[in-house]
Amino acid sequence: MKTKTSSKYSLKQSAIPTLVVDKDIQIWECSDALSHFFEQPTEFTFNDLCDIFGEVSIEFKHKLGKKKYFTETVQLISKTGQERWIKVNAYPIFDKEGFFQLSFDDVTEERIQYSLGQKAKELAKVGSWSVDLINNTIFWSDMTKKIHGVPLDFVPDLEKGIDFYKEGDDRARIIEAVSECIESGKSFDVELIIITATGKEKWIRSIGAAERVNGKTVGFKGVFQDIDEKKRSRLEYETISNRLRVGIESANVGVWDYDIVNNELFWDDKMYDLYGVDKNDFNGVYEAWERSVHPDDKELAATEVELAIQGKKEFNTEFRVIKNDGSIEYIHAEAKVFNDKNGVAYRLIGANTNVTRMKRKDERLRQLLNITEKQNQRLLEFTKIVSHNLRSNSSNISMLSGMLNQDLPIEDQKKFIQMIQTSSEQLDEIIVQLNEIAKIQATDKSEIIEIPIRATINKVLESLNGLILESDAKIKIAIDEKLRVKGIKPYLTSVFINLLTNSLKYRDLDKRLELEINSKVLKNQTVISFKDNGIGIDLKKHRSKLFGMYKTFHNHKDSKGIGLFITKNHMEAMDGKIEAESTVGKGTTFNLYFKN
Amino acid sequence: MEEKKVFLVDDDLIFRTAATVLIKQIFPGYQISHFENGLEVYEKLIDLSENQGQLPDLMFLDINMPVMNGWELLEELKSAPAIIRDQVQVHILTSSIAPEDMNLSKTYNFIDGYVTKPLTQQDLHRVAEYAQ
Repeated sequence: MKTKTSSKYSLKQSAIPTLVVDKDIQIWECSDALSHFFEQPTEFTFNDLCDIFGEVSIEFKHKLGKKKYFTETVQLISKTGQERWIKVNAYPIFDKEGFFQLSFDDVTEERIQYSLGQKAKELAKVGSWSVDLINNTIFWSDMTKKIHGVPLDFVPDLEKGIDFYKEGDDRARIIEAVSECIESGKSFDVELIIITATGKEKWIRSIGAAERVNGKTVGFKGVFQDIDEKKRSRLEYETISNRLRVGIESANVGVWDYDIVNNELFWDDKMYDLYGVDKNDFNGVYEAWERSVHPDDKELAATEVELAIQGKKEFNTEFRVIKNDGSIEYIHAEAKVFNDKNGVAYRLIGANTNVTRMKRKDERLRQLLNITEKQNQRLLEFTKIVSHNLRSNSSNISMLSGMLNQDLPIEDQKKFIQMIQTSSEQLDEIIVQLNEIAKIQATDKSEIIEIPIRATINKVLESLNGLILESDAKIKIAIDEKLRVKGIKPYLTSVFINLLTNSLKYRDLDKRLELEINSKVLKNQTVISFKDNGIGIDLKKHRSKLFGMYKTFHNHKDSKGIGLFITKNHMEAMDGKIEAESTVGKGTTFNLYFKN
Repeated sequence: MEEKKVFLVDDDLIFRTAATVLIKQIFPGYQISHFENGLEVYEKLIDLSENQGQLPDLMFLDINMPVMNGWELLEELKSAPAIIRDQVQVHILTSSIAPEDMNLSKTYNFIDGYVTKPLTQQDLHRVAEYAQ
């Protein structure tokens, strides 16, 4: 460095890194701040600019020669190897010919940010534009030109720019936006389609803001972005979402999303509908769902969720829920588990459907199948028994007729002829019963009507009056006159006759017969019960055969084993059922169930 | 010598009456006793075996009977005193021509025959021949 006394400009104390050079880039003077700025250990020891800027200094020498102010940004590599950008401001010193004062500013950060911004703009395909309404000029940045598909030397004007917009709605909207911007200074932000110079349709976003002077728009400028790819995927996503939504809505599917980590459960609107829960009553946690599940299914449903989270089982299950109005519905639930990179489940997304109708139909079908199976079993039994009884009587007739050919005393012959007649009558009776059973199997359900119970029982009691008087039975009927059940009149009469005659037949001869007929109206059915204090049936031994054909449980002379068989068939033909409770020596109760 | 005995087990009175006439023709001199179901005859057999009474030589057993049917009686007899199974010749006498009933009868080694109704003199002759 030259001697500092040669200049009256003493910069030593300045906090700004500054130095003075001559036109040959020799350093004459410098501020103390300079040594720190250029990473010098104690004192600034550079003699000329080459020591600081190397080859770039030649450029400086050239510029200094022009004796004018200039500014330049130079790149340096710091001692630690970092990139460093220094802005140099050079002012000629007026009273010292050929000397310049140079001040330095570290603009590394701004430079990096600018460079990143440029890169981001490029990546985001963002261009800029401006319109000068005073000079009627228009500027498009290179990126804006690139998006339009025009060469970089393309010269745009406002009209040409607008013509790029797709004819129709898109062009009308940009004209409207630009007009409004000119007239009232309103800024705009629109997503529209342009047709590029190569004829390709492209989605762009154009943002513009007015430049106003004295309340008048003198121009406007803004940015122009290629959003084609993003927009198309968004539109596609919206289309798919809409399709999905329509599908989900029409399929009555509720979608839920369970954040396992934060124990948060999200439901879509359909879910609230499925569970009959008010949106405001649901606080979005797992326990809120658990509360809706039927108590009997809670454990199973919770276990299924747990197994799914543990990855042991797919979540595909069914459970019942109790809605706010108390009704019970069946839900089918399926879900997918999402695991993090360690294989730990963090999220469960699933769909619920209401399968109540299907379930009820299924149940009804199962019931019908069950009844049909039982009927088939009974018919099989029936065939076997009928065949046995027919054969018993026909073989008796055959045997007795054969014996008539023998030389037997006239008394014996008379006895055998009488027996043949009895066997024939029994055969006839079996055929009548057979016919009756066949009739029940062919019942037409449309014959089911509402029948007044009390009046029907009264009629049956009248017809059995003789037997009742003979047995001295005490009969108590607790049935409302207005009570009606759905049934087929002759069947109902037959059921009542059978049950009452059974009570009369199997009464305990050591005590007075007491008969009670009661009714109970439940939610879905009406129960009529016939209770007696007769000899009872050993149900432990006979329950499975109770309603079988030709099954008798007593040694009674009139016991034919067909009454309860027909009664059960009659009840089932009326969509009802019959059950028995009995204790030997105490009595029997038959409960008749009719659907309401 | 004691009088020979036949037990006829059937719930059908007409059959019992007619069959008795036929049995008497083929087994003259035999004493014929009637039982209406398995339980009645079971109690009688047990009583006889326990009190050194005279067991029947022949027993005609129906299958379909109330209270205790033929099969139920045979099951009971399996665990009854062996003397019953050893001394009494048991012939099923039934209107059932079902093969499953015929096959089932073969599973009891103390059954001596299976006769289907109507009962004829020829049937009884075969039983008599077998008895000798």
